[in-house]
Amino acid sequence: MDTMQQVPMILIALPIIFAAITVLFRSKSGLQKALNIGVFAILFVMSLSLLFHVWNNGILVYEVGEWGKYGILLVADLLGAGMVVLSSLISLMAMIYATDYMDRKALDATFFPLFNLMAAGLNGIFLTGDIFNMFVFFEVLVLSSCGLIVLTGRGDHTKMADKLEAIFKYLILNMVSIILMLVAIASLYATVGTLNMADIAVKIAYLAETGTLPWHIHVIAMMLIVVFGYKAALFPLHFWLADVHPSAPAPIHAMLSGMVIKVGVYGILRVHYLIFQESMFMLQPVLILLSLVTIAVGATSAVGQYDLKRLLAYSSVSQIGYVLLGVGMGTAYALTAAMVYLVNHAIAKSMLFLATGETLYHAGTKDIRKMGGFVQSAPFLSVIFLIGAMSIAGLPPTGGFFAKLVLFDAGLGAEYYIPIGIALVFAIFTLFYLFRTWLSIFWGEVKEHDKEDTYKSRNPTIAIKISLALLACVVIFLGVYPEPLIVLSSTIAEQLLDPQPYIAAVLERSVR
Amino acid sequence: MNNTLLSVCIALLFAIGTFMILRRDMIKVVIGITVLSHATNLLIVSTGAFLGGRAPIITSDDAGSPSGIIFTDDLASGILAPVIPEGTEMVFVDPLVQALTLTAIVISLAITAFLLILCYRIYQEHGTTDVSEIRRLKG
Repeated sequence: MDTMQQVPMILIALPIIFAAITVLFRSKSGLQKALNIGVFAILFVMSLSLLFHVWNNGILVYEVGEWGKYGILLVADLLGAGMVVLSSLISLMAMIYATDYMDRKALDATFFPLFNLMAAGLNGIFLTGDIFNMFVFFEVLVLSSCGLIVLTGRGDHTKMADKLEAIFKYLILNMVSIILMLVAIASLYATVGTLNMADIAVKIAYLAETGTLPWHIHVIAMMLIVVFGYKAALFPLHFWLADVHPSAPAPIHAMLSGMVIKVGVYGILRVHYLIFQESMFMLQPVLILLSLVTIAVGATSAVGQYDLKRLLAYSSVSQIGYVLLGVGMGTAYALTAAMVYLVNHAIAKSMLFLATGETLYHAGTKDIRKMGGFVQSAPFLSVIFLIGAMSIAGLPPTGGFFAKLVLFDAGLGAEYYIPIGIALVFAIFTLFYLFRTWLSIFWGEVKEHDKEDTYKSRNPTIAIKISLALLACVVIFLGVYPEPLIVLSSTIAEQLLDPQPYIAAVLERSVR
Repeated sequence: MNNTLLSVCIALLFAIGTFMILRRDMIKVVIGITVLSHATNLLIVSTGAFLGGRAPIITSDDAGSPSGIIFTDDLASGILAPVIPEGTEMVFVDPLVQALTLTAIVISLAITAFLLILCYRIYQEHGTTDVSEIRRLKG
């Protein structure tokens, strides 16, 4: 199919074009909303068709400018296409939610262009086959998310001064990590003379075979672990997350916690399992150790929090630890588990954050201790929040149950008894802090703020209800019928451990 | 000799940049980030700069002459491009790294502009440019 061939490019180009076009319609609010929801719906449909195409016909490669492996290639394999589907689903829902949630001023001015750029950055990272191009899309993603964090929504009680402080931390630390990534890329280029990831993989495998692998390849691998660990909020690099994520308005918070921190996990899966197979033997124990510490630190910090958004942000730190635990164990089954966990966490967490934004608007405060008895005034939110909390805590019949089940099963199968034991203990912490939160917000006594029945006027609008209900349906669906996701994830894991099809698809091309 | 000078220069720039981002003043931190990104740009250029190479503008006079650098890779004979065989004279430097550096410069320009605006807004909100006094969020 010829039109299918163009889809990877369209997935990146369409949001960039619309980032420019929506600026023109800034005075027509209704048209702008309809246009952007339409674009994101198209992106979602296209990403789904791309995934089906890749599933049926194998890896799709798009040559930008037909330079062969010497130019930039967009490669849609199952991992990349799957991540694009996930990111388009979450960004579509966040977009529908944001049209009613964000302030009118923010919506008219900068929200839509920046959100489009963010989607383009995410799709670009997941589809590119060139390591320098990945760096460029990292920057697109970071700058657009910085611009989005500043905006305000209706339940957003964060002061502007706090937002600016959070962005300053985020951007400075991000620049340091990006500079590290550039140094790593430059060293890699000086060693093997190419930037195409499949080509680098072939050459490093060749060097290792002939026994001439220079030792600094291991150093480069470690530098890139630091870069991606920073993006994914791995333990010693996690401290920015609890400041930055709660400062963002709810839809952006959902995107940041749902997709943007998964970019780091994707980077480790793509770059390290493709290129640095030789140095994984020493990186895997480090990853397992750091992910366990991440789980512990995130969970214990979340237990002590009374600020709802900060609590959930620390929960994100803890949950990303579980994903990286699966990545670190590195067997085919563990990688399957990591992928299942990643998808479930992305959907459930973004739903929980969208619900949190509405809850905070309903309550008029961020402090859990001042909320109570909302099940009377907001029954819909309480159900959504409960489904999200159940999925993150890993209770059936939600997707999170299978995520935890597969992960622990994989760990026990690979005989990682002590790490799985530690992870289990902190899974109980997760259950505790999420249900304590749910109970104190939605059950219990109605606090005195509600005397004049003001909450009735602050109920979710239709668009917000639709996006939350659709995400909840996906979470329940993944719990009742997890078979397709698990099959897809195990195929992805096989492809990751045996990158030969990827390399063959990229390199066997005619060069003009 | 030139390469040694270049390496020392890059190392010095990295040292200065690291020192600057550890300062307490916000503007100095931004300057540190800028110096660090320029050090990285130099590092990228240095991966393609060879002794005696000139700008890769190939005119019709040069078309036949061998540049000395092998840009095509052949794994069977153990060649990873770009490679300089020992004892050959360099004619051109590697043009790809210069394109990479241009991209990196543009990106660091955008980031620096954003950071400077951000510093100004933080100064407006907090009334100070001292990083250690801007600590309302607990981390």
